[in-house]
Amino acid sequence: MATTIDEVYNNTWDDPRERSPLITGGLDYGQVTTTVTAIAESPAPPRAWYVLMAISLCLVGMLGTLLLHLILSGVGVWGNNNPTFWGWPIVNFVFWVGIGHAGTLISAILFLFRQNWRTSINRAAEAMTIFAVVCAGLFPGVHIGRVWVAYWLFPIPTEHLAMWPNFRSPLLWDVFAVGTYATVSTLFWYMGMLPDLATFRDRATNKWKRMIYGILSLGWTGSARAWHRYEMAYTILAALATPLVLSVHTIVSFDFAVSQVPGWHTTIFPPYFVAGAIFSGFAMVITLLVPARALFNLQHLITMRHLENMCKIIVATGLMVGFAYTIEFFVAWYSGVKTETQTFVMRAFGPYWWAYWTMFTCNVFIPQLFWFKKVRTTPWAMVIICIFVNIGMWFERFVITVTSLCRDFLPSSWWYFRPTYVDIGMFIGSFGLFMTLFLLFCRFLPVVAMAEVKSIMPHEHDHEEDHH
Amino acid sequence: MTQSTSHNSHSAPATGPTSRLVGILAEFSTPDQLVDACDQARQAGIRRMDAYSPFPVHGIDPAIGITRTRLPFLVLAVGLSGLFVAMGLQYAVNATDSIGPFPGYPFLISGKPLFSLPANIPVTFEVIVLSSAFATFLGSLALNGLPKFANPLHRIPRFRKATNNGFFLMIEAEDPNYNPRTIRNQLEQWGAQSLEEVHLDLTDHKLPSFVRMVFVLLLAVCTLPPAILYRSLGESNTVPRLHFNPDMDWQYKSQAQQVAPNIAVGDEEERPMFRDLRAMRGEVAGTVIRGQLREDRSFYTGIASDAAGQAANAGGPGHYVSTPNTQDETPAEPNWLTQFPSNEKFAVDEQTMRRGKQRFDIYCAVCHGTTGEGNGMVNQRALTLNALGRASWVNAKSLHDYTVVDQPVGRIYDTITNGRGSMGPYRSQITPEDRWAIVLYVKALQDSLVDAVAEDEEGNWVPVRTTPPAPVTEADPTAADATPTEAETTEDSGGQN
Repeated sequence: MATTIDEVYNNTWDDPRERSPLITGGLDYGQVTTTVTAIAESPAPPRAWYVLMAISLCLVGMLGTLLLHLILSGVGVWGNNNPTFWGWPIVNFVFWVGIGHAGTLISAILFLFRQNWRTSINRAAEAMTIFAVVCAGLFPGVHIGRVWVAYWLFPIPTEHLAMWPNFRSPLLWDVFAVGTYATVSTLFWYMGMLPDLATFRDRATNKWKRMIYGILSLGWTGSARAWHRYEMAYTILAALATPLVLSVHTIVSFDFAVSQVPGWHTTIFPPYFVAGAIFSGFAMVITLLVPARALFNLQHLITMRHLENMCKIIVATGLMVGFAYTIEFFVAWYSGVKTETQTFVMRAFGPYWWAYWTMFTCNVFIPQLFWFKKVRTTPWAMVIICIFVNIGMWFERFVITVTSLCRDFLPSSWWYFRPTYVDIGMFIGSFGLFMTLFLLFCRFLPVVAMAEVKSIMPHEHDHEEDHH
Repeated sequence: MTQSTSHNSHSAPATGPTSRLVGILAEFSTPDQLVDACDQARQAGIRRMDAYSPFPVHGIDPAIGITRTRLPFLVLAVGLSGLFVAMGLQYAVNATDSIGPFPGYPFLISGKPLFSLPANIPVTFEVIVLSSAFATFLGSLALNGLPKFANPLHRIPRFRKATNNGFFLMIEAEDPNYNPRTIRNQLEQWGAQSLEEVHLDLTDHKLPSFVRMVFVLLLAVCTLPPAILYRSLGESNTVPRLHFNPDMDWQYKSQAQQVAPNIAVGDEEERPMFRDLRAMRGEVAGTVIRGQLREDRSFYTGIASDAAGQAANAGGPGHYVSTPNTQDETPAEPNWLTQFPSNEKFAVDEQTMRRGKQRFDIYCAVCHGTTGEGNGMVNQRALTLNALGRASWVNAKSLHDYTVVDQPVGRIYDTITNGRGSMGPYRSQITPEDRWAIVLYVKALQDSLVDAVAEDEEGNWVPVRTTPPAPVTEADPTAADATPTEAETTEDSGGQN
């Protein structure tokens, strides 16, 4: 019987003579199953779960109330006004879409690169992706003003409207990109979850659970023929999701880059946005998984090595983002365009200097702490740094969106943007929505991809009896 | 645990007609044992078998004899059709005028081509990925025969380990090399820990036939609301459409000719928004409406500039003079333009002449006739009715009448603009430059009846008309008599108004 290595092993050090194990704790297949299913099978979740759920539901209630207020009153309740027609809603949209990139990156790109350590974290990261995309989709959805005609976003044939979307508009590309991303991420997540849902079905003791998980698992048996096609399908989905994940934030950056606004009209945006998205996404994964692994006793499956690897990715993407910030200044100067130069000088030293330097500090300086192994392997330190990273990434979108629009080509319309309580409340409320979905996921669905973890467990060869 | 009852029968039902033997299920403790057993079974000539494991076991495909799936080709085909669908959709929608029964919407932006590949790539890419992802997901499910909720394997409690830590091999009873007498020994030799027969329960109650009917009906009913929505929102309609949301259909606004709204708050006395009680506001003094700055007065009035200036000033800003058309008041004849104006809007050329003819045939010919002889269709019909005593029509003037021929161009322009006698004004129907074009055409019509030119006593060359047109004054009574019934019917149908 295959088992994983004992828990005393520190798997963050690499010994060239042998591979460091990916999961620890001396678990065999059955124990991997029980570790993961225990979360859903325990009669009641931990008390912290209830506390967090209560807070999240309050925030969701606030979000719902503010949404109703917004829909009944119109978008004037936000701080958006001429010339800053894109205020917090679009900042929040880009923020959440960015966060939603880590999941698919972990499941697709790391899968194609055969990075087996992904198996412990991919399920939770994919779930996080989908919930972040839900939060992201909310903001442009209500930003259109008249939500009851949101179907105009889609190419639906009507005789009386005599109208079709403009397929050459980046905003329409965005509808397609985010819509496709949400759909494909959900398919990928669900497909990956099928075998684990079957495990839940087969372990269910209650009739209702067996029926619900039975329907969700579609009658999966784990037949070798099914696994063969499943693995092929999973590889194809990963191959499809990889360019997709890169395309989504590229297209989001086109929303800005295709326009003429100084500070937006720049070709560096696509790679810079994608790097930033991965950066913020991994930060959010760490922020969620460090408490979750402690809360649900997953330390042997989500090991320190997993967290450390993610910290390394954060420091790498953080440097890319810092490089982009610097290059932007160079390009603004090198372009010789007065408005462009002025916009960038204004960003760093103008009325929004505080936002710019918050962004720069959180995104470029603070993650440098991850160069120290001690920091990389201390969970609480990671969480604090990752929260700073997410603050910084929110400010990055704020700086890009608001500072550029506040100083457009017409100096008479320059102004200082101020959010209203609806802006702030909806942003905080979106965290409530995100957390509610994530907590429900933790409680009712397989948090770790059991089948995938089992497939990468050290495989002892034949006919050896258990010696633990 | 299920007891392993020993059935010795072949493919015949073992426990009577209530169940059928599907195969034998063997459990192994490790994935390697499972692969070995599959290999041995294959060597023993067994083909109809399948292995079940909680994760994909390495090396099991050749051991069982699983051939590579066709799924990638399916996905490729769907992805390629996604490419054509997305390209076709974008072309049809944004570069053509109609897509079947639906109107297209060609966007012309900055003079760029209607279909430009680079701008259409993002949507195409996303559609390819989306369709391929669905093809992958649904295709793999379909090839795997999922969803399949009724599976005899799920009836075996031990089989629940297959999604946890158990490794199973099932050999189907229908395999030609399945020998019920030896198979158990063989499997035990190959390392099976436990053996169990899998039976398909034939007594299972299938869904009653009406359930399917009800399901289909429900599905049909579910499509009704969206269908109604689509129909009411998506079609042109002569009566007001269903209002799911009042949207902008009722707005807080005042329409022309309405009284100014009352803006009193609370117990205040009635307070109209504007002191003059009118909701419609006039022009602000000293301003000009965009596009209404008429600096070249004579062009808009037909009166030579010195006089036109004064006349225009009397009429207030933005207006031009209107000559009174009552006979009892005889003001001094204005200083009419005798030459056609010439500016960027109007020039005497062939194009203007053609435009003049076209406008004349639309607006003037109905009464004055296409040749200007005052015998247009309306005129003829009205005179017919006159003759029957059912109308009091003043004959349309022949434009070849000497009183008209002698008029300066400015005067004719003024007649079109403001009307004269029983002729109504056309200033709101015809633009100034078109009015001048009509004047040009009228002048040409008049000259068409000139036979020669001669020198008058002052030495000027003047046109000579040898055949002055006979103005149509009375309708031909015979014509009226010829079609009395027609006149009668027309009169009857119109007489109800």
